[in-house]
Amino acid sequence: MKLPETQVAVLETASADDPKTVESIAEETDEPVASVAGAAFALEEEGLVAVEEVEETELELTDEGETYEYEALPEHALWVGALSLSADEEPVEIGQAIGTSNLADDRVDVALANFARKGMGAIDEGKVIVDPEFVPDDDPEKAALSAIADGAVDPADYDESVVDQLLSRNLVSERELTVRRVTLTDEGVTALMEGVEVAETVGQITSELITTGEWQEVEFAEYNVEAEAEETYGGKHHPLRQMADRVSEVLVGMGFQEMDGPHVDADFYINDCLFMPQDHPARNHWDRFALEEPAAMDAADLPADLVDAVERAHREGVGPDGEGYHSPWNEDFARALALRGHTTNLSVRHLAGLAEGDLEPPQRYFSVEKAYRNDTLDATHLLEFFQIEGWVMAEDLSVRDLMGTFTEFYEQFGITDVEFKPHYNPYTEPSFELFGRHPETDELIEIGNSGIFRPEMLEPLDVEADVMAWGLALERLFMLATGAEDIRDVHGTLVDLDFLRTEEVVY
Amino acid sequence: MPTVEIDPDELRELTGKGERGDDQLREDLFGLGLEYEGETDDGAFELEFAPDRLDRLSVEGVARSLRYQYGSDRGVYIPNTNDAEWTIHVDADVPDQRPYVTGAVVRGLDMDEAALESLIQLQEKLHATMGRQRAKGAIGIHDLTMLKGAPAGGAEATEAEAADPNVETTDADAGKSVRYTGIGPRGDRFVPLDSDIEMRPIEVLKGHAIAHEYADLVEDYDRMPAIYDDVGMFSFPPVINGKRTEVTTDSRDLFVEMTGTDQWTIDHMLNIVCYALDARGGRVEEVTVEYADDAAGEYAGRELLRPDFATKTKTVAHENIESMLGIDLGGEEVVDLLERSGLDAETEGEGTNASTAATDDLRYEVEIPPYRVDVLHPVDVIDDVGRAFGFNKLLPEYPDVSTVGGRHERSRLEGSVRDALVGLGFEDLLNFHLIGEDENFDRLGVRPDSPVFGGGEPAVIGEPYSEDYEIVRTWALPSVMLVLENNTHRAYPQDLAEVGFSAYRDEDEPTKMAERRTVAAVLARSEASYEDARSRLQALCRVFDVDLWTPETRHPAFIDGRVADVVIDGHTVGVIGELHPEVLVEYDLELPVAAFELELDALR
Repeated sequence: MKLPETQVAVLETASADDPKTVESIAEETDEPVASVAGAAFALEEEGLVAVEEVEETELELTDEGETYEYEALPEHALWVGALSLSADEEPVEIGQAIGTSNLADDRVDVALANFARKGMGAIDEGKVIVDPEFVPDDDPEKAALSAIADGAVDPADYDESVVDQLLSRNLVSERELTVRRVTLTDEGVTALMEGVEVAETVGQITSELITTGEWQEVEFAEYNVEAEAEETYGGKHHPLRQMADRVSEVLVGMGFQEMDGPHVDADFYINDCLFMPQDHPARNHWDRFALEEPAAMDAADLPADLVDAVERAHREGVGPDGEGYHSPWNEDFARALALRGHTTNLSVRHLAGLAEGDLEPPQRYFSVEKAYRNDTLDATHLLEFFQIEGWVMAEDLSVRDLMGTFTEFYEQFGITDVEFKPHYNPYTEPSFELFGRHPETDELIEIGNSGIFRPEMLEPLDVEADVMAWGLALERLFMLATGAEDIRDVHGTLVDLDFLRTEEVVY
Repeated sequence: MPTVEIDPDELRELTGKGERGDDQLREDLFGLGLEYEGETDDGAFELEFAPDRLDRLSVEGVARSLRYQYGSDRGVYIPNTNDAEWTIHVDADVPDQRPYVTGAVVRGLDMDEAALESLIQLQEKLHATMGRQRAKGAIGIHDLTMLKGAPAGGAEATEAEAADPNVETTDADAGKSVRYTGIGPRGDRFVPLDSDIEMRPIEVLKGHAIAHEYADLVEDYDRMPAIYDDVGMFSFPPVINGKRTEVTTDSRDLFVEMTGTDQWTIDHMLNIVCYALDARGGRVEEVTVEYADDAAGEYAGRELLRPDFATKTKTVAHENIESMLGIDLGGEEVVDLLERSGLDAETEGEGTNASTAATDDLRYEVEIPPYRVDVLHPVDVIDDVGRAFGFNKLLPEYPDVSTVGGRHERSRLEGSVRDALVGLGFEDLLNFHLIGEDENFDRLGVRPDSPVFGGGEPAVIGEPYSEDYEIVRTWALPSVMLVLENNTHRAYPQDLAEVGFSAYRDEDEPTKMAERRTVAAVLARSEASYEDARSRLQALCRVFDVDLWTPETRHPAFIDGRVADVVIDGHTVGVIGELHPEVLVEYDLELPVAAFELELDALR
């Protein structure tokens, strides 16, 4: 007869006259209890063993019982304490005895009651005298506690009165459990005598098994298919990168072409070309990431006619009615190098024809690239962040076109009811802050800054058509879309791998 | 963004709209672009303002804008001014760095506590904005009754005529004067505000609690700016006023002076202050500013009458308004919108009296009041029309413009490399480009002047936020190592990769920086070996169809004999190897790490 390995082991361990519990067989065969139980039931179906199920009561120690078993019964402690004060000769004050015994307050009454009950001495007029003949180790209650702690569980093994006493003292409790006992049937005995072999059960399927055809003879071990397997972490795109790619995909779909360009750039491209006066607070404020090294571009590397045109716009404005700023302007400051505070330097370089040659309208361009601000680092602000930047160049663009474009963009992210609050930027007029309803919380939140580039910015760049532009921090969109509360946990070296491994994908 | 505090009760009083509740006021203010941020303990609104309409930095200016919005006022308003009695003489001793001054007299004010507070706030906000923290323009306001004007003939004349007791009475009608000049840091003494003792300028700069903050504005001056009346020095611009002429709630007549580095700027700050005091019921009186022939600056020898309430005009074409707003408007409607913005407009050209159909050549000569410092170009007037019309009434419209979209080639390459790495089981990282110098170099044993991969002089930030962000990283491996260091409590293997930006100095580049993307990858796992890294790099090179060769090299971060140059298509573009145990210990790692980093462009 061929049987699976575990069943063979169970059959060989079981006895016809000595019922064995599943647990004891598991111990003998060194198989998991669950496997042995499974095998026993399978053998019962074959009629080779009988499985008897009995509801039994098992004793186990309560927390208090465990404590006494480990330390000492309180009455024993009292006896030992009093004896050390020679209370076998002279009565001693109870308080003194208790102190020496180191009994906790809540155990004093327990100690006194049981001390008296067991006749370990006498208590009279607040004094205690002990019986030196008493032997704590012979106390059946102590013996029973130790035995139960060691796993002897059958109540029948003890004097009923001792068990009752321990139950009433709440040192042990009873637990109902189902015990399965396995006994060999006559058929089982016959089968064993005729010889039982281990059937080939297969865990791992090998190529040998398949090619030799042996697979036809074997039995496949059954797995616990519900069990969790070991964790596997495949590689994954960074969650913020996924969001950047999603934004880029939306913009490409709307006809935008991606820009690329320098992170370290001259202030000329970062600010002067944007008609930002040189004494504008944002340009002198410490949140600008000015570089100590390298400090400035060479004069020869800035297009001279563009520099002249930009300086003229700053000083005199453009157009017949134009006015410039009443602010100083000097080329040295324009040549100073800094980490770009916004990615608008890319827009400037493209509009000026320095990136991809002269651009004829219509054009749409975008980038989702890093900008740098030497600002406070907190849960919603980083020193470097991804700026979504986009612009449209066309003839006769209106504020309504701007509104239509951005309404369309935000709708792709579930943000509707976009509101346009008139605003001020040095380089756009009109300018709008964009507000939208959060898809989850329904709050009105700022979602971007936009406007139509001023003539003072476009004329020096030799752009004759209208250009509307807008910007937004990708991290802000990410936090809105995912509910992330601290951006420092997402972007940067403080990221928790567990977050990267478990964060839901963006699509 | 900056905020301004406005008492709603004052606002109701100055607009004459006593019936408007706080909620209504908040809505009205939002319409002006002033966003309600909260309230002060005294119940004043804290409003966020965009720094263009600097005429709205006090309750008086905000009330004026609201009156236009309500339709209570229309068109340009110019306060009446009385003729000048006072003169400010500017003499040759004035510091070259701060040659300009302007001023006005305002009489008949009833300064209650609220009016005084509002004036102080306006002064502070103007200093913070147009005044560029007092560097470009600084305001001093004085109690006129405490000033004793010298006869207008000038300081020299005063001394000569002082002997003759009749001079003062006979010349009284000829006017009074003060003198803007420069003195040595120890040149004179006066009692500054918030003090009871006479101090020399140098002592004020060093020892006065408030003045101390502005000391750096004049630290390069060899002469200190000072304003004198017949009694003596009463103002030390831009640092602090004198105590003698301090303005209190008892002050009725004020003398306003402003000094700075640009005449236009201080003249316009003065206009804003005068408009505010006019709204408080004051009568503005002109002041003559007389620059000596040998005074510094571009007005030497000239006489200016201030405040200058002259308006300016901008010509705005009707079609530009329609084109910018994307709607059709009638000529009269535009004029109405302009007047509701506090501007005046004359129509010119075709269609002046006609309907919307004939507006082709229609233009507006728009008159801009002297407190508006934000109108540089006709587009600013169009913005006013849009605000008065209500931008939120415009319907969004998707532009009928067709273009072709696409990713940049570099982005596509980056994306494909990331896909390949993720396919090989790497977790994609996204780290900061800024890093500490120690992190970028020292912890991996690399020196900036070393020719090994990762070496190279970095871009150095002038005033770093902290030592964790001092430079732009020259390679990406240090960032990836930090992620390993911060995640030693997480399950291994940790296979991490980053395709990211780094840069090093290169004098041949126009921006002096060679900017690049690199591909950095680490395998942190028990038994990680050189071969594991080589096998992944091979896989990457294979799918990008480039030839890989890894000749032995030396690199301080890696174990000798287990490190190689990454040579692709004949160019050395990176490094690969097993990290040195010294590095592993430095990052608290207890298992081996194999790593590589190479230039992204090598995979093109």
